Amino acid sequence: MSTRDLVLAALFAAIIVALGMLPPIMLGFIPVPITAQSLGVMLAGVVLGARRGVTAVLLVLVLAAIGLPVLSGGRGGLAVFMAPTTGYLIGWVLGALVTGYVSQTMVSRDQSGLAQGASFFIAALLGGVVAVYGLGVTYLAFVTGMGFLKAFVGSLAFIPGDVLKALIAALAGRAVMVGYPLLPQRA
Amino acid sequence: MRTLYVEGGSVLHRLSARVKLIGLFLLSLLVFATHSPVLLGIVAVTCAAVYLSLNIGWRQSWLRIRVFSLTIVVVALFTLVLESPAAALETFFRLSAMMLAAAAVTATTTTGDFIDQITAAAWPLERIGLVKAADIGLGVGLVIRFVPEVVMRYQAIRDAHYARGLKMNVISTAVPLIILTLRNADEIAAAIDARSIRGQK
Repeated sequence: MSTRDLVLAALFAAIIVALGMLPPIMLGFIPVPITAQSLGVMLAGVVLGARRGVTAVLLVLVLAAIGLPVLSGGRGGLAVFMAPTTGYLIGWVLGALVTGYVSQTMVSRDQSGLAQGASFFIAALLGGVVAVYGLGVTYLAFVTGMGFLKAFVGSLAFIPGDVLKALIAALAGRAVMVGYPLLPQRA
Repeated sequence: MRTLYVEGGSVLHRLSARVKLIGLFLLSLLVFATHSPVLLGIVAVTCAAVYLSLNIGWRQSWLRIRVFSLTIVVVALFTLVLESPAAALETFFRLSAMMLAAAAVTATTTTGDFIDQITAAAWPLERIGLVKAADIGLGVGLVIRFVPEVVMRYQAIRDAHYARGLKMNVISTAVPLIILTLRNADEIAAAIDARSIRGQK
């Protein structure tokens, strides 16, 4: 990994941490508060691609593990990794990987804006929703012994918010690509 | 950003970070192997006693574990409704024990010790050429250094919105925030390489 890639990942990790400091927003039609931090995870994949995106998320998790309150709501410390919801955090790594990989392979600079946006949306949806919830729900089911289906039903209320975030990530990802392209492209 | 480490001279403070981390890992295995609510209750109460003996102060002690306690109570109630009181108690004590033990390790280990442990653990990965162990410390330092700058940029973007009479929205905030922040990467990378911090290749 070049120094520039490491710096980009670290800067994005700082953005993810800063997003966690914003107060959660309540949207009228969704019964749970939405935090901007998981949006940051999708954005990491969309803007930086798989490798650097994963590095950014891993840095955030390392900061949390060593006792800095970097996660939304001022959470931090090893307790974060010993909670029933730890699977979602581990899911972030896979989420950034999937989002980044799909973005890299599907989006190219000579596509139309609509195609780019749609590809980014699919990437953020597969990574930020499917992958994150896949791991999160599986872990929750395993740790609490409540069974996969019940764990999934318990998480259902959060999914509309995350789908909305995937849409925002797609729009923002395309805007960043127009203004300051960083996504690794296939030759 | 203040770390969750608390100064002190307890036994946990004096134990090496590696011993504490391995202990925490073994405890997590242990509580998952046990299914007796009574035994798990004893473990949880012991963990709570250790956590409270660290002199963090009642208010701080509670604030640190508040969010996790809420999740655990919700999960326990869920189990109570769907399974049985015994299963709910088992889940509650198991999750509480893990959370309290983890919070105790966090409060008694400095970030420097943690980074040393992570760097040591990454050594095998460096041997097979996957990562440079020293990069982890560098990356962590960079993030801590740049979080305040990102927050400052966020405030500047917010002021710019107000000055133009615009309402904040996610896209018009996130996009300039990302571009402004990442645009510095080249300069920072050049500064790091100029000081040969990562070693010359």
